[in-house]
Amino acid sequence: MSEPTVLLIEDEVQIRRLVRTALEEEGYRVLECGTLKEGLAQLHTAAIQLLILDLGLPDGDGIAFIRELRTQFPLPVLVLSARSAEGEKIRALDAGADDYLTKPYSTGELLARMRAQLRRAPQEGATAETQFRFGDIEVDLAQRSVTRRGEALRLTPIEYRLLCAMLAEPGKVLTYRHLLSAVWGKAFIESNHYLRIYVSHLRQKLEDDPAQPEHFLTETGVGYRFQP
Amino acid sequence: MKSLSLLPGPSHSLPARMLWVVTTCGLATLLAWPWRELLDPANTAMLYVLAVAIVAARAGKGAAIASALLGSALLDFFFIYPHFTFTIGDAQHIVTLGVMLAVAFIIGNLTVGLQREREAALERERQSRALYQLASQLAGALSLEQVDELTRGFLQETQACHGLLLMRQGEEVSPLSNEQPTLSGKPYYAAQSALRLGAVQATLDEPVQWLFLPLHGSTYTRGVLALSASGNDLLNSERRPLFDAIAALLAASVERLHFVEVAQRAQLQMTDERLRSSILSALSHDIRTPLTVLYGMADTLAQAELPKALHEMADAMRQQTLRLNSMVSNLLDMAKLRAGDIRLNLEWQPVEEVIGASIKLLGQALAQHPVSVTLPTEMPLLRFDAVLMERVLCNLLENAAKYAAPGSPIRIAARTDKKFAHISVCNDGSQFPPDRLESLFELFERGDTESNVPGVGLGLAICRSIVTAHGGSIQADNDDGACVTFTLPLGDPPVIEPEDDHE
Repeated sequence: MSEPTVLLIEDEVQIRRLVRTALEEEGYRVLECGTLKEGLAQLHTAAIQLLILDLGLPDGDGIAFIRELRTQFPLPVLVLSARSAEGEKIRALDAGADDYLTKPYSTGELLARMRAQLRRAPQEGATAETQFRFGDIEVDLAQRSVTRRGEALRLTPIEYRLLCAMLAEPGKVLTYRHLLSAVWGKAFIESNHYLRIYVSHLRQKLEDDPAQPEHFLTETGVGYRFQP
Repeated sequence: MKSLSLLPGPSHSLPARMLWVVTTCGLATLLAWPWRELLDPANTAMLYVLAVAIVAARAGKGAAIASALLGSALLDFFFIYPHFTFTIGDAQHIVTLGVMLAVAFIIGNLTVGLQREREAALERERQSRALYQLASQLAGALSLEQVDELTRGFLQETQACHGLLLMRQGEEVSPLSNEQPTLSGKPYYAAQSALRLGAVQATLDEPVQWLFLPLHGSTYTRGVLALSASGNDLLNSERRPLFDAIAALLAASVERLHFVEVAQRAQLQMTDERLRSSILSALSHDIRTPLTVLYGMADTLAQAELPKALHEMADAMRQQTLRLNSMVSNLLDMAKLRAGDIRLNLEWQPVEEVIGASIKLLGQALAQHPVSVTLPTEMPLLRFDAVLMERVLCNLLENAAKYAAPGSPIRIAARTDKKFAHISVCNDGSQFPPDRLESLFELFERGDTESNVPGVGLGLAICRSIVTAHGGSIQADNDDGACVTFTLPLGDPPVIEPEDDHE
């Protein structure tokens, strides 16, 4: 596979240099720019596999940019944002971003998230996987079966639907809103406590230590992430 | 002679009026005397009528009557035969005298009526000029105190009564400043009902008369003007139009000041908030950017192949940058909490979720300490702001790790009583100083002032601010290792209908 091209839109030159060095070392091709306008131009001219976008750019609203971009480009979008800006993260994810990183982030973390996104990307449009395996758990969507080391686990219909919704997008941050409408329907978009209760049920049944989960991760104030 | 006293004529005093009567009648007599042979007494009487008219104009009704009587007597005495007696020889002179008396009486009355009307017109003009002046002064008033003072001065000067501006405070009225005496007894109740009913109230609290005029604003009664005077007829209906006019003027001024204040406050608050949030976000952005660069560089170095000493240094740099970042976050959060900028995003949720997220978030910082979580099996949902509660737990965990011996465990436990959930974070390490268990949560306090463990003691202060904002409390104790326990109110969690297990 040829090295993927990554576009980095970030107005701080130092951060750009740092990220570029780290990514190039990993074999990525890196394009960079400091404004949304230049970013859009680059997206139109080059074949880009992944976008890293800083939300605090001086020349416009990053969230509106994501929404606009989503109408034309299917590529994964990774957002960089400050802490204690959960509202901003949720808006970015609902607008179509796939993941976010909170500043300051480690390069290792950034690379891991990028790999997860790029792994996911080519599967889109292809036939969906029906078999999943994480930890000791195996899920077979065709058989509707969930087993731990071969032993069948009993999930309620809602728990199963929630599990499917999370398995469908591994590594991606799923907002409360997204999961509620996927599992319960649009009428339940405000009922966050439903979701929390059922995620806790899933953890009770599928995690080794429900209090310190390894697969059904909490993104506090934003949503959940399924980590295979 | 009460009616006389109401007449502010040119000469007020009794001796002066008497002088007018005597002088005028005397002059008439002196004038007529040389012509007594030529003039018929009926014509002489005309002179006296003139005298009466003059006296009526100058000295009022009583004097006019007195001069008519005196004139009649003088006419009879000097000019009617037999002279120098009060006997009347000719019967027709009785008619002369009678007519003269009647004419004098009527003229006197007319003059007095005219004069009274003139006086009343003058008084009205004076009042409207004074009202106009009050209105223009009130229009320039910049504070309620000024309005109060102007009104008080005006009432004292022009109405000889004491005025007091009472403003609405919730459902009560009270004077503007504490220096003013507060009302009690009958006047107090009358003032309250004037406010409540929005209608004029009067009461008598011997020897003082009170009148309470409500000040109607566009939406509600803004206050009450209290008038009080002793021995001054406040309740006279003739004075009411003036009082009503004053009350209307006052109400308009009070309303104007109210809206000016509302507008000013709104503007001030807006500028204030905009300034504060822009400073905070600029600060947050400007500090985070170099921190992100620093952290990224240290992280890259720590990943690289380096001699052991350099590698350790790079790793330490990374750790310190993270600490600096958490300190900055704490400082910014504290600033926001103090400024009341944080709106709690309260939601019902299981507490274990936020505990798990906090442990995960701290990651490396807890690498040396196994963390155990003990929760009751039927732990109810709690209502809290997940992001802020994560901050509390992270601070407590970080704190517990900081003061514990490497490798020693950290325990998180929860229990509930009737009203609260108690959540504690404990280590097996050093104890809190027993005499400072309370002050640990003060800003910039640390367990051991001489300790070289980093941290500015902001963490626990923030924990307390957040927990207090949730309606809970936080304490430290040394019962089982160094423990910090905080509480959250239980409340009524929403009921989730049990799911039908069959599809």
